[in-house]
Amino acid sequence: MQTVTAAKKRTVRINGCVASAQAAKYADVDVIAAYPIRPYTATMMALAQMVANGELDAEYIVADSEHSQLSIAHGAASAGARVFTGSSGVGVQFAYELYSPISGSRMPVQMMIADRTLDPPGDFGSEHTDALSTRDMGWIMGWSCDAQEAFDNHLIAYRIGEDPRVLLPQMVCQDGFFVSHITGDVELPDSGQVKEFLPPYKHPYPLDPRHPVSHGPQIMPEQGPPLQLERARAMEESMAVIEEVHDEFAKIFGRRYDPWVDEFMTDDAEVVFFLQGAHAVTARFAIQHMRDRGLKVGMVRLRTIRPYPTDRVKEVLSKFKVVGVIETNMGLGSVSSGGVLYAEAAAALYESDKRPLVFSFMAGMGGEAIVLKEFYWMTEKMLEVQKRGKIEKRTHWVGFEE
Amino acid sequence: MSTKGTHIPDRLKIPFAGITPAPSQEKGQDLFPTGNWRAIRPVYRDKLPPCNNACGTNEKIQGYLDLVKRGKYLDAYALIKEDMPFPSVTGRVCYHPCEQACNRGKYDEAISIRAVERFLGDLGQALKHDVVKPGKPNGKKVAVVGSGPAGHSAAYQLARLGYKVTVLEKSPKAGGLNRGGIPDWVLPQDVLDREIERLVELGITIKTNVEVGKDVTWDDLKKNYDAVVLAVGLTEPNSVRAEGENKEGVHYGLPFLRDIGMGTSKVKVGARVAVIGGGNTAIDCAREALRQGAVEVTMITVEANPQEMPAVSEDLHDMLEEGVELMHGRAVTAVLGNGKVEALQLHPARFSGAINASPITVDREAQAERFHVDNVIIAVGQRASIKWLPDEFKTERGTIKIDKFGRLGDTNFFAAGDIVQLGSGQPLMVVNAVGDGKRVAFNLDKVMRGEFLQPRTIPVDVIFDLNRMNMTYFPHFPRVHQDLLPPASRKKTQDEVIQAFTEEQAVEEAGRCFSCGTCNACDNCYLVCPEPCIARPERSNGMYKILVDYCKGCRVCIEECPTGCLEGVPELDFDTGVVRMDTAFAISPGLHGRQAEELRNLGDRAAKNI
Repeated sequence: MQTVTAAKKRTVRINGCVASAQAAKYADVDVIAAYPIRPYTATMMALAQMVANGELDAEYIVADSEHSQLSIAHGAASAGARVFTGSSGVGVQFAYELYSPISGSRMPVQMMIADRTLDPPGDFGSEHTDALSTRDMGWIMGWSCDAQEAFDNHLIAYRIGEDPRVLLPQMVCQDGFFVSHITGDVELPDSGQVKEFLPPYKHPYPLDPRHPVSHGPQIMPEQGPPLQLERARAMEESMAVIEEVHDEFAKIFGRRYDPWVDEFMTDDAEVVFFLQGAHAVTARFAIQHMRDRGLKVGMVRLRTIRPYPTDRVKEVLSKFKVVGVIETNMGLGSVSSGGVLYAEAAAALYESDKRPLVFSFMAGMGGEAIVLKEFYWMTEKMLEVQKRGKIEKRTHWVGFEE
Repeated sequence: MSTKGTHIPDRLKIPFAGITPAPSQEKGQDLFPTGNWRAIRPVYRDKLPPCNNACGTNEKIQGYLDLVKRGKYLDAYALIKEDMPFPSVTGRVCYHPCEQACNRGKYDEAISIRAVERFLGDLGQALKHDVVKPGKPNGKKVAVVGSGPAGHSAAYQLARLGYKVTVLEKSPKAGGLNRGGIPDWVLPQDVLDREIERLVELGITIKTNVEVGKDVTWDDLKKNYDAVVLAVGLTEPNSVRAEGENKEGVHYGLPFLRDIGMGTSKVKVGARVAVIGGGNTAIDCAREALRQGAVEVTMITVEANPQEMPAVSEDLHDMLEEGVELMHGRAVTAVLGNGKVEALQLHPARFSGAINASPITVDREAQAERFHVDNVIIAVGQRASIKWLPDEFKTERGTIKIDKFGRLGDTNFFAAGDIVQLGSGQPLMVVNAVGDGKRVAFNLDKVMRGEFLQPRTIPVDVIFDLNRMNMTYFPHFPRVHQDLLPPASRKKTQDEVIQAFTEEQAVEEAGRCFSCGTCNACDNCYLVCPEPCIARPERSNGMYKILVDYCKGCRVCIEECPTGCLEGVPELDFDTGVVRMDTAFAISPGLHGRQAEELRNLGDRAAKNI
């Protein structure tokens, strides 16, 4: 297998899509399964150029749908290939059938998601519902908030997913437009560093005509539970691996991420935003501004939602008086009648001795940006709740209330 | 950590992600016995192909066609010989009810079964040693009276069963109807001679010029043999009961043919010959008359048209091709002439009813016709000559009275062939006599061994409906036709009119067989099974096995079985090879209790523990 063209560490100004493509190149993927849908398409365009230019030696397969795309990815991974694929919005939904079989057969396929709101509206903006709807399918999943983090998360996710203790697929998500199409400085590593961090992929039982094996055979009902238990165990036990890998990444590349939550100005914070993804960038700006005015506000950004860091979320959020969950996803008829993040955060806090007041904001829906004044409005709501000692309601629709 | 402290019991330990050796590998299917999903189990159930069913002696026709298709000619010959002592003869003379029954006939054209049979029969003739061997001698002696088709068949089967068989034949040469009733140009004498030799090779003694009632008596037979098969046939020609029938120049069908066959004929036919009768013997007589020098041959029948004639249609066609004229709806009421036949007096007549011994209505009020002829050959059937038989065993029709097993009362005498079949409704044809001889031989054997005779009670499933097969697998393909001598040259010779199949023709024709309802090892089930649930130790008929631990009853093999031999049988009909779940789910309430005995006690136990 030809390795990545030797490259020295350098910083380039690229958007999230291209950062993902660069990460795939540095990961020296063997098979790329592509099918276009905006906004993630730019990643596949960049990869196509790299393969065409000879920068990357990979099979680039254009599927006839997302369902085929994920089937190709499944098959290629079964044959022992490191696979890269991706999609957005309804494309993610169209491939739904494959998510459980891929994790069930323990194939560390990697899928890049640049979120796109599900129809309606038929637009390109980010909303996390596309990927979040697959969150219980056994894929390791998390959001980045900028191009650099997106690049890094791809390498980290491969390393976690391919660890023999884990062997699970990964969804490496970034907000459409807010990450995928906004340019930022990305430090591309030395190829030697990547080689050190990410050893070649090796599945223990690949499909090989010389040693025929059966993948995904039909089974007795009573043999289902052990298989599910093993998959659940892999997901749980991946948590230790995730932490190890982030340490290793920091050692080699010099950037340290908390694998679970990214805290911003939480030291003495009394009210915090709890969110994931790109809107954290605006949130930081807003929080800084409000801090200048003496408001004790902070932010906890969830970096990995699967496996869900229940204990860590409980521990971190218990420090505050009020938690305002910014959903950026639709959970129609859910616990909070808002999104899906609230329920998991609230459940994580249920066993806490010091439960903060928790409610949620429906913001950034349909791919709309969450603007600064909306962060101020949301902060006011949290402070009111803190003052009153009681939530007004579980979910607020931002921009539609006084 | 929800999975902390969990433990998978040994019996449920599974490989990583359920990844197992490929199904084709050893132990590749051991892990997941998914047969408990099955509600329907595929079962190989061979039906009786319609050809086998229609055949008078139930030859395994589908079986030997299949073997011919695969080039296993000797095996095919051995298979045909189980039921048919002389395929070389029936391959030429048979009226082939099998071809009429052939399902392929409803699709395009029936298989030319008789031609393939002849191919095999001729192959058997060429063998230095026959594949059939006599049975282990059981010390019992059996006399078979008559060496026609029924006698030949009975003697053959009895020799195979180990009996010491003596055939008594009243003529100078053995063969009976095969010898005397069938012209050379249909069945050459040497073919029959070879089949008679085969009987001798089986250790059968053939005594010719021995006539029962004259040279041996009923009591002699009773005394000298442990059992006797009477297959004396119908030897006396029927008369048309016309005035002046005893005139010179009047001949009867079977003696006419027999004398020519035996080479003892002194008959010289004139230019104009009339043949009376509409059956196969009449046709043979008409065609023989042409070969004996007749110029104009007219066949006079009481039947109103060719369709009513009890004749094989191809033979009728070949006869007309040779120039014989048909005159329908007339009966001979007088033979005119001064000592020698000069003309026939004909009256309008009508035939009604069954083939055998049915009334003829003659309109004697109508104006008589005068038909000029030099010779008349009367071929309107035969009757028995059984004066020597004790009266208690005679029927009103003048045939032998038997029970349904072919036995004469409680005696060790049995009877078979035309002598019992006349008037039974069964066509008096060679193959039917052969079948009769075979069945009687088997029944005789059972009586000799002290076994109880029982009629067959197993229901026979014959595929008559093409929808029971998967016709997608059978492209249309025309029948391979046998060559015929050109009509013009036939009259000058005794050569066979119908030509034999070449090997290629036989294989091609056998290849058209549907194998209706019978596994012919086509491998289709083996190939279409979505999982390897069908085992094939070797590619051979009946060698496929359903692996019931894995078969989920998806029915693909059943639907795709070309021949319809695979059937779906409800799983609850089986009590072995069943994988059942210990749950409360069942097709009907209470059924689970039958499936798993202990389930019924579970509730009681729980109640006690509260």
